[in-house]
Amino acid sequence: MITGLGVTTAVGQGKDAFTAALFEGRHAFAPLRRPGRSMPADGSATAFLGAEIAELAVPEAFPARVLRTASLSARTALVTIAEAWHEAGLDDVDPTRIGLVVGGSNVQQRELTQAHARHADHPEFVRPTYGLTFMDTDLCGLCTELFPIRGFAHTLGGASASGLLAVQQAVWAVRSGQVDVCIALGALMDLSYWEFLAFRAMGAMGSHRFADDPGSACRPFDRQRDGFLFGEACGAVVVEREGVRRHPEPYARVLGMATAVDGNRNPDPSLAGEISVIEGALAEAGLSASDIEYVNPHGTGSLIGDDTELRALAECGLRDARINATKSITGHGLSAAGAVEVVATLLQMREQRLHPTRNLVDPVDDSFGWVRQESVPFAFDTAVSLSMGFGGLSSAICLRKWQ
Amino acid sequence: MPIQEVFDLVVKHTCEVMPELDGHTFVATDSLRDLGANSMDRAEIIMMTLESLSVTIPLVELAGANNIGELAKLIHDKSTS
Repeated sequence: MITGLGVTTAVGQGKDAFTAALFEGRHAFAPLRRPGRSMPADGSATAFLGAEIAELAVPEAFPARVLRTASLSARTALVTIAEAWHEAGLDDVDPTRIGLVVGGSNVQQRELTQAHARHADHPEFVRPTYGLTFMDTDLCGLCTELFPIRGFAHTLGGASASGLLAVQQAVWAVRSGQVDVCIALGALMDLSYWEFLAFRAMGAMGSHRFADDPGSACRPFDRQRDGFLFGEACGAVVVEREGVRRHPEPYARVLGMATAVDGNRNPDPSLAGEISVIEGALAEAGLSASDIEYVNPHGTGSLIGDDTELRALAECGLRDARINATKSITGHGLSAAGAVEVVATLLQMREQRLHPTRNLVDPVDDSFGWVRQESVPFAFDTAVSLSMGFGGLSSAICLRKWQ
Repeated sequence: MPIQEVFDLVVKHTCEVMPELDGHTFVATDSLRDLGANSMDRAEIIMMTLESLSVTIPLVELAGANNIGELAKLIHDKSTS
């Protein structure tokens, strides 16, 4: 069962702010500005569009000496886990029975780029702490130092499926008895201009078409889309084994989940892989497609990705479920996306309301149960969320409202 | 460069690495370890000081310092020798 959630995005930090932004369909898309990420202002390349966190509010309880060398990904992890931790009430749990899975690999590229640039002329002065911070596992070290987590902690990489794979791994960890509680984190993927240049060059990242209109640029499933837009994000999901302790109000039960590798090193989606994970998650849940009331898709705004996902959903009989696209509001959190979208799914489930899909003016396929410009009240208990990643990764999870 | 300037740089970077020492009155006999600096903190403080002075000294040659005063003197002597 899922008993705690934390979320940090460019449209809101914390569940309350995030939920409000989702239902209002607010966005924060603009030219990316962070140092080491924005393009040099020499006109050599056009700006990248995306959504950045304006100001991360960090609780005073975290010591300044630790924060000094904590990357943006690490600081965001701390505040996001703190929210989920307190909601789940984990202070009462034996620390040796709590685990942490940090979803994502190579999540601190921008800070590495800055560190290299800072000492390019004098590498002999590279900071000793760089020997710790360049590794993604620094997030595990920091989070277990500041929270009493003593069961286990490690990272788990799965490209843009990392966040959902982390949730799945957390479920496995409590199912197997390794721990009673496991926190899954979709880490903020803090990329530099190098990765964005490559994403643009490979044709994955928008937006050429809406370069002068950032608010219109991120448009999953719309015919005018031209690629994903990045969005800084981080999500934390607390998974607990049932029957270990009482919890006043869990969000949901994980009914089924599945992953697939398609034997494909490329960014291409796989129809067969996506169908297999949807069917796998439904089979484990013991449900048929008609039982699924809401789908939270991967839906990045990729040309071929969105098409393929809709074909997979249609072939699996999920055309009648309601569907929206969280990334139309948050942007693509990459390693964070799968966890953030589990959070978005469960917040909508609790509120019994679905958020709009920004910029969905002319859907690729009109026959789905789209939520378009406005949020809608919707009574539902059962949902499926999908996450896909470069390198042939597909994953799905089936959730049912706690009752 | 006078030793006092090296000492002041060590103090400055110590406060950067351990902001909780802001307001502490540093004396030459203060030991970084006793002030709460772990081995990573100490390496960080020394490297920041060396960078501020633009001098390259292998960290291992500074390991013998027992307190901030000795550290400042070691850095001073090795950077001017």
